[in-house]
Amino acid sequence: MVKQRVPDWLNSSLWSPPPDDRHSRYSSSAVNSRHSPSDYVAVDECAMHPPVPQPPPAAIRPTEPPPKSEPKESRQDANGTSTSSSSNSNISEEEISRQAQLLVELSKKVVNMRDVRRLVSMGIPDGAAIRSTAWKLLLRYLPSDRGMWPSELAKKRSQYKHFKDDLLMNPSEITRRLYKSNIESIESCESRGLLSRSEVTHEEHPLSLGKSSIWNQFFQDTEIIEQIDRDVQRTHPDMPFFSGDMQFAKSNREALKNILVVFAKLNPGIRYVQGMNEILAPLFYVFRNDPDEENAAYAEADTFFCFVELLSGFRDNFCQQLDNSVVGIRSTITKLSQLLREHDEELWRHLEVTCKVNPQFYAFRWITLLLTQEFKFADSLHIWDALLSDPEGPQETLLRICCAMLILIRRRLLAGDFTSNLKLLQNYPATNISHLLYVANKLRMCPAGPP
Amino acid sequence: MVLVLAIGDLHIPHRAPDLPAKFKSMLVPGKIQHIICTGNLCIKEVHDYLKTVCPDLHITRGEYDEESRYPETKTLSIGQFKLGLCHGHQVIPWGDLDSLAMLQRQLDVDILVTGHTHQFTAYKHEGGVVINPGSATGAYSSITYDVNPSFVLMDIDGLRVVVYVYELIDGEVKVDKIDFKKTTAAAH
Repeated sequence: MVKQRVPDWLNSSLWSPPPDDRHSRYSSSAVNSRHSPSDYVAVDECAMHPPVPQPPPAAIRPTEPPPKSEPKESRQDANGTSTSSSSNSNISEEEISRQAQLLVELSKKVVNMRDVRRLVSMGIPDGAAIRSTAWKLLLRYLPSDRGMWPSELAKKRSQYKHFKDDLLMNPSEITRRLYKSNIESIESCESRGLLSRSEVTHEEHPLSLGKSSIWNQFFQDTEIIEQIDRDVQRTHPDMPFFSGDMQFAKSNREALKNILVVFAKLNPGIRYVQGMNEILAPLFYVFRNDPDEENAAYAEADTFFCFVELLSGFRDNFCQQLDNSVVGIRSTITKLSQLLREHDEELWRHLEVTCKVNPQFYAFRWITLLLTQEFKFADSLHIWDALLSDPEGPQETLLRICCAMLILIRRRLLAGDFTSNLKLLQNYPATNISHLLYVANKLRMCPAGPP
Repeated sequence: MVLVLAIGDLHIPHRAPDLPAKFKSMLVPGKIQHIICTGNLCIKEVHDYLKTVCPDLHITRGEYDEESRYPETKTLSIGQFKLGLCHGHQVIPWGDLDSLAMLQRQLDVDILVTGHTHQFTAYKHEGGVVINPGSATGAYSSITYDVNPSFVLMDIDGLRVVVYVYELIDGEVKVDKIDFKKTTAAAH
């Protein structure tokens, strides 16, 4: 039996890089062709007035954004720096050029999705706050024709409002709207005597046990709502955006809860499963931090539709009945296992056969939660950039990234036994995300055969 | 949207063995937030049963209650409304609106819940509303043998209350409702 050799490029010392070595990262990732940096170096200086709104270079405060009929991007710029949390001062030329290109792409009349995908897959720099619009495009919430954006947005946002009104009303309000009854005010001084009674029709009283009674349905839904509430309270306890007693944190949690409750009510087949809140959190975070105020105000509605779109590909992971079927989570994990075997048989053999680390122990969380729990929040946003922009689709890309995660720590895994490997995989060590994505990219292009 | 159950005068075990089955099937735990009980349960087992329906239980003493430590009257605040509770045998003439109005002014409440007459009534007067949930078991009273089992569920929603009256008439549960509101918010 010919033992499949690990390809040389995998074994190279590049895979234990120093964590912050940006230059080596950029020099090695010259995979896709791009414009020469010189075209965009001038962007560093405020003096240049290209037909595209200026991205905010690190140290320079941008002056008035050019008053064009250009989109939200122009307003985004002025506030762009305030939203980025990463170290602004280290933005390199490459990032600025990518940023500029993205802005050009996004400001076109009809957005070329292929180009956007290509650019986004290299990572969206945090500086210019493009992520919100880019994700909305990639998740097909916004159509490519820019002219249709306002009408589409208005339509979808009002649709969400209707959903909320219909589904989130409590039965008291519903009965109040349905049945006009004569309400007496108890402070009115004229009448004294018996209060008038009216009959209750259709079993519409709170203790009703009838299936069609809104009260009964309400109480049955309360269980799910309680579960959603519990999970929402526990989302990202380290982030002041989500947790804590500040008013904005509370309203953010309230928004998360509303989205999940509306989703659960609209999808009685799948309802709510623990973990959906983790998938929802990055979406809401990005949309809520959109510097365009109108977008930020409607973040809840936008997030709802994008969440539905994102989850549509991954629904089967959450459905317990499908666990063992061809589309369920078990078969996805098996696919990951196969992928690892294709690319790195030695590691696969060591993990599955020698150490007997069942991939379900670690890959389950990686796959169902789309890697949100494995990395820092900012890093997981970068990973989602790659996930959402890949033309192969998020499911395939996710598997490749998981495979890359395993390959990157192969030395430590090969040296470890069951306990240490499991511990390592369940607490994945911090890595350079661009490296990770690069390796994942390579896995697609590299045929699994001996060189 | 707060659901408050007003119930009383069960007289278990002396005058009735248990709540009617149809009532019992409706009183499931988890739906009701408060129970206010006018009294005359009379034994601890009934108290425990009511506690399983809702842990927040308020009771006042009826003349036949075996637990002597229930208070004579109780006031509590739910949402924007102040509710008063009293068994009613202390207020004479029994069931008289004017005397109950006096008690209501004394307790300074918007809604007064009393029992003892084993008849459902809901009165309105200048000071507020007086509700008598009747007897939940249909136990005979000092006044009459002809008693329909009844209790009351109040849905307090902001400044508005919807009172659902559950009565067992000829073996069937009949539900009526009464709507009222108050115009000024409670000053705390």
